[in-house]
Amino acid sequence: MIVQTALLIGLVLFSVLAILLRDLLKSAISLAAASLFLGIIFFRMNAPYAGVFEISVVAGLITVLFILTIALTKAGDEVRESRVVNWVFPLFFIAFIIIDALVMKGLLRKIPALASGAETGTFGDVLWKGRTFDLVGQIAVILAGVFAVLALFRKGDKHD
Amino acid sequence: MTNTWYFTLFFAAALIFAGILGLLLRRNLIKLFIAIEVIAKGISLLLLGTGFAKDNILVAQTLVVTFIVVEVSLVATALALIINIARQTKSLDIRKLARLKG
Amino acid sequence: MIILFVALPLVVAGILPLVGKVSRRVVPDLLANAALLFLLVYAAITGRHLIAGGPVLQQLSWFGEPVAIRLALDGFSLLMLLAIALVGLAACLFSIDYMEHYGAKANYYALFLVMIAGMNGLVLATDLFNVYLFMEVAAVASYALVAFGLGRDELEAAFKYLLLSVVATAFILISVAVIFGMTGSLDFAAVAKALQELNAGAAVGVASAFFLMGFGLKAALIPFHAWLPDAHPSAPAPISAVLSGLLIKVSGVYAMTRIFLNVFGLTPALSTVLMSLGALSMVVAAFLALGQKDMKRMLAYSSISQVGYVVLGIGIGTPLGIAGGLFHLFNHALAKGLLFLTSGSVQQATGTRDLDEMGGLAKRMPITAATNLVGALSIAGVPPLNGFWSKLIIIIALVQSGHPVFAVIAVLTSVLTLWYYLLMQRKAFFGKLNEKWAAVKEAPFWMTAATVFLALLCVGIGILFSSTVTTWIQPAADVLADGVHAVIGSWGF
Repeated sequence: MIVQTALLIGLVLFSVLAILLRDLLKSAISLAAASLFLGIIFFRMNAPYAGVFEISVVAGLITVLFILTIALTKAGDEVRESRVVNWVFPLFFIAFIIIDALVMKGLLRKIPALASGAETGTFGDVLWKGRTFDLVGQIAVILAGVFAVLALFRKGDKHD
Repeated sequence: MTNTWYFTLFFAAALIFAGILGLLLRRNLIKLFIAIEVIAKGISLLLLGTGFAKDNILVAQTLVVTFIVVEVSLVATALALIINIARQTKSLDIRKLARLKG
Repeated sequence: MIILFVALPLVVAGILPLVGKVSRRVVPDLLANAALLFLLVYAAITGRHLIAGGPVLQQLSWFGEPVAIRLALDGFSLLMLLAIALVGLAACLFSIDYMEHYGAKANYYALFLVMIAGMNGLVLATDLFNVYLFMEVAAVASYALVAFGLGRDELEAAFKYLLLSVVATAFILISVAVIFGMTGSLDFAAVAKALQELNAGAAVGVASAFFLMGFGLKAALIPFHAWLPDAHPSAPAPISAVLSGLLIKVSGVYAMTRIFLNVFGLTPALSTVLMSLGALSMVVAAFLALGQKDMKRMLAYSSISQVGYVVLGIGIGTPLGIAGGLFHLFNHALAKGLLFLTSGSVQQATGTRDLDEMGGLAKRMPITAATNLVGALSIAGVPPLNGFWSKLIIIIALVQSGHPVFAVIAVLTSVLTLWYYLLMQRKAFFGKLNEKWAAVKEAPFWMTAATVFLALLCVGIGILFSSTVTTWIQPAADVLADGVHAVIGSWGF
């Protein structure tokens, strides 16, 4: 439990850092670090496939995409972030954490839930026999993403 | 094991709130999208933590995997948009996009 | 084989870019339109026989092995499929000529069909997570389509739309996760049954609030509408037609009503919230539309206002109110699709969307002007067009259920709607011809054909409104009026 808590706190810290840091590259990297923490948390929750996906795809691929974008858009002028953020963000965030903790403590065991039976089978069984329509959706969303990128980076004959 | 659920709910809520706060306060387009990614982390933690606490980890795991696939597709589209905007306006400032308001 | 509604557009979308290498224009035009025509015929002719004996549930098998693709087709989903196919086909026909100068037509049609597949998938889904997933499929395709022109405004509008839409789906997923934690299931039927057993008012209330924020953002109800007046006008005209006519209704109104009425069950509190939100959108957006100079922006605000009518009607919760809301949803899909398409014709002919610059275009573009007039009068609710009947049903339902104040607001907003549409007519099509447009010609064949198709539908449904209501709207309204029993009783697998 202590390790899990430490990992969760690390996840939140790095995520907050990713938002707060001024330098884009640093904030992309701390986002990747947060993903790494999340991946380990998933492993510890007996979800190895989700953990692998989180680490390889989110911490890996998406970070690469972010860094690529940062490199490609560097020519633009520096964006002046408002200074207010530096104190407004922590203030609101800490206030929310306190409210959040109180609400969760108040809710403890209050939300009614059905007792669930233990699941049987393996990840593969559940994915293939339980949620096959998700796979159709995944194919569709990948197609959408591919066509979107193709459309946005097409050359030449565009109207003005 | 119901306490675990509130425990993950707490952290997931913190992440989602941090992301929304970032969305409201930041001005750089890439920063805005990093805030979106933080929200997405909160959501995947919420989904998986719920499954873990309620003994539905296998279903939750498939949901998170699907969610990550969706996220990749979304990130690719959004970053392509950002690169195009940066090429045209030579800036990543959300305030310069205010032309459409009104 | 109702999986075809999802599979066919996806397969055609997959092969289009390959075909596009061989033939840049003709074959993609043909394939995309043929796919949509097939879906329309399938929905309109076969669909009614399919659901004659109650909702169709389909469990597919793959090489003899049953796989878990569970789809359900009932009156409500069939109505949505029909609307998607009708407006989708009209927009696709319109694209044949309109998208000519944008280039990359095969890619455009591929995105368009993926968006249609996403909407169809959402309508047929039987599971909370699939609703999210297919909503995202349609949304990702629509971001790229809004930005398809690659101009500055298009890109900016698409990015804003993307940011708000992602927040919307985040809210929806929070709610899905809470429901999943409470019931241990995602299937509509199982969730509805479990919620009845649990009797968990407060927790369902919280989940409803998050759903309301998420779907409210998707449907652009008034406090959540900021993205729509940018995104819809910036897109190419056929895409504006599909976004305003279909996407906000499928991923906002359809998903919201399906979950609130059939899964959660409509409580009096929820009904009041829905009606107030609907009335607020209706009135505020109508006033905002009045002040617009940009033709497409005016239409976009009008969409928000009309979605307000739909939500108001469904929110009443009585069978008549639901029927009126759904009928208005269908009519608005056709009429707003028509109006956005004609605005595209005008924009292509004159190169402007500014109403003050136009004037007297009816002399140069008679068919476009006539079809635009039909669409405008239909939305404003002028008899005998279709929009009149649906608004009338909503107002009667409001009076019957004891909400005379809402009824008065609905009537007054209708007058306001007529006012700004007449303003648009006068500025754009009537009056003196601006000399600048002396050389303007009527839109090309396919563009006028698409608008005439929708205009004829508007008039036809207006005349044959009672048979339309009994054959298409009533089965859909029955499903919703049945509440949770519609799902628990007959959707179990």
